[in-house]
Amino acid sequence: MSGGTELALEGLSRRYGSTVAVARMDLAVAPGELVALLGPSGCGKTTTLRMVAGFVEPSGGRILLRGRDITSMPAHKRDTGMVFQSYALFPHLSVAENIAFGLHRRGVPKAEVAHRVARMVALLKLDGLEARLPRQLSGGQQQRVAVGRALVINPAVVLLDEPFSNLDALLREGTRIELRRLQTELGLTTLFVTHDQAEAMAISDRIAVMNQGRLEQLGTPREIYDRPATRFVAGFIGRANLFDAKPGAAGGLISEDGIPLEAAGAATYVLRPERIVLDDAPAEGPNAAAGSIEVLSFLGTGVQAVLRLSGGRALLVEGPASLADRFRPGAAATARWTAADLTAIPAP
Amino acid sequence: MISLRHPFGWLLRLLALLAFVYLLGPLFVIIAASLSDTGYLAFPPQGLSLRWYQSALADTRYLDGFFVSVRLALTVAAISLVIGTAAAVALTRFRFPGRALIEAFFLSPLVLPGLVLAVALTLFFASNPLVPPGMMRLVVSHLIVGVPLVLRVMLPVLRRVDRSIEEAAQNLGASPLKAFLLVTLPALRPGLFAAAALAFIFSFDEVEMALFLGSAREAPLTVVLYGAAQMAFDPTVAAVSSLLILLALILMVAQQIYAQR
Repeated sequence: MSGGTELALEGLSRRYGSTVAVARMDLAVAPGELVALLGPSGCGKTTTLRMVAGFVEPSGGRILLRGRDITSMPAHKRDTGMVFQSYALFPHLSVAENIAFGLHRRGVPKAEVAHRVARMVALLKLDGLEARLPRQLSGGQQQRVAVGRALVINPAVVLLDEPFSNLDALLREGTRIELRRLQTELGLTTLFVTHDQAEAMAISDRIAVMNQGRLEQLGTPREIYDRPATRFVAGFIGRANLFDAKPGAAGGLISEDGIPLEAAGAATYVLRPERIVLDDAPAEGPNAAAGSIEVLSFLGTGVQAVLRLSGGRALLVEGPASLADRFRPGAAATARWTAADLTAIPAP
Repeated sequence: MISLRHPFGWLLRLLALLAFVYLLGPLFVIIAASLSDTGYLAFPPQGLSLRWYQSALADTRYLDGFFVSVRLALTVAAISLVIGTAAAVALTRFRFPGRALIEAFFLSPLVLPGLVLAVALTLFFASNPLVPPGMMRLVVSHLIVGVPLVLRVMLPVLRRVDRSIEEAAQNLGASPLKAFLLVTLPALRPGLFAAAALAFIFSFDEVEMALFLGSAREAPLTVVLYGAAQMAFDPTVAAVSSLLILLALILMVAQQIYAQR
């Protein structure tokens, strides 16, 4: 790995007895880049983060930070700044003392500590709260102290472990935008663990989708959404309709439930719900399917519908709010799409 | 707060009152008796006099006994705190075979009657004089109960402390030992205080082991009182007891004020 990489995981593995938590993970994070480790619980994302922090010992592979092998370095000698899911603020120390903790451990002179803490307090809008104890703060304020404490030491890499999961929905969106702004401004190399795909899409440069200890796909949010590499990624990122296209008896392609498809060839295809158009004309030819509307949910920005097809499939459809005027639950409707809307998933 | 309009409000209040009378009544009797003007213990007291307090404070046996007890209880509390906390840390932090068994074994002295322990220890020390008799032997014996008391308090406290604060300290550059000393130990402070107080009170109040294993030259206050009550049950004993109650009250109030600060 060359100078373009701040943090590199090479074949990183962790086994617990016979279960594999992380299997031969390869990942290179560039300076100033924010990479999300995304996956369902138990997929190995937190174990990976804790291996980088030094709290879990890898069973195999290497971790390189700024070109230095830190695989067997104790946690307190690594140059990482971690924000814990529980924030893990020191309950007996004030806000200022919490933020100053890492600077004191590094032997930073007193005057400089005061200066850097004050700057962090201003940056995170914690002014006036310096003398408070953690239990006297709101959840959002506690979260900002945890972020400040990790950033003030200028770590080579920032590790975020589900940092927004304890905030309520409204606060969460504002906070993640704020954190992204800070991360970009300060050029912080960041590894970010989350199970929330919307959160990962919103603030990441690249997303590493993990499942059962394996890295399923690594790419920009756009790449992962538009060209999912596996069925798992297609289903986990956004909502997806999947078709297994095979050559049909009458020539052309046909899905496993008998829908004629017009596509590039026999493969598994992803059809995103927002690519589907609904009308009330009969279904004719390929890339169309008739059914009845089972559920119609108005979401403000649009409508989500479930179209129950005659073959039994529940087709997910998303469209403009006007759909709610044109269709009622129980009404017959036909879904249509084009060959360009079908994205093939590479065969495993 | 239970309102009187609650269907059982008055009943609950009555029960609470009865419980208080039951718990505090004996203390009241002792204090009242200590103020009696008679030469024997009497309740209700006849006449009002502080002369038994005078004689209690003038009698050096009581004062000496008090200081022996304080020295004993402080030593037991300090050693119990170190051993009990270390054991609690090991039992909550590390997984090893027989952990549950060891925990049960550690706590078992709490269910043994004091007299049984006292007799068993007397027999044991008679054949194995590992520890010199007197204060040392008493300290060692009290630890058998003091350590489990500390353990009993510290186990749930340690289980409740967020492990990630120690990891956070390490992440910020503190070695594992420093992380424990700088972050975990301060978080445990209220628990440590309560555990030490329990061990202190146990040791200070203990009679059976003190009688069987202590030496006559350095008798703790409980032994002095026990002896005095057997010889002549005059109100001096009640006066000494009242002074101890007063001391306990002052300490409790001080602790509450400290905790609310």
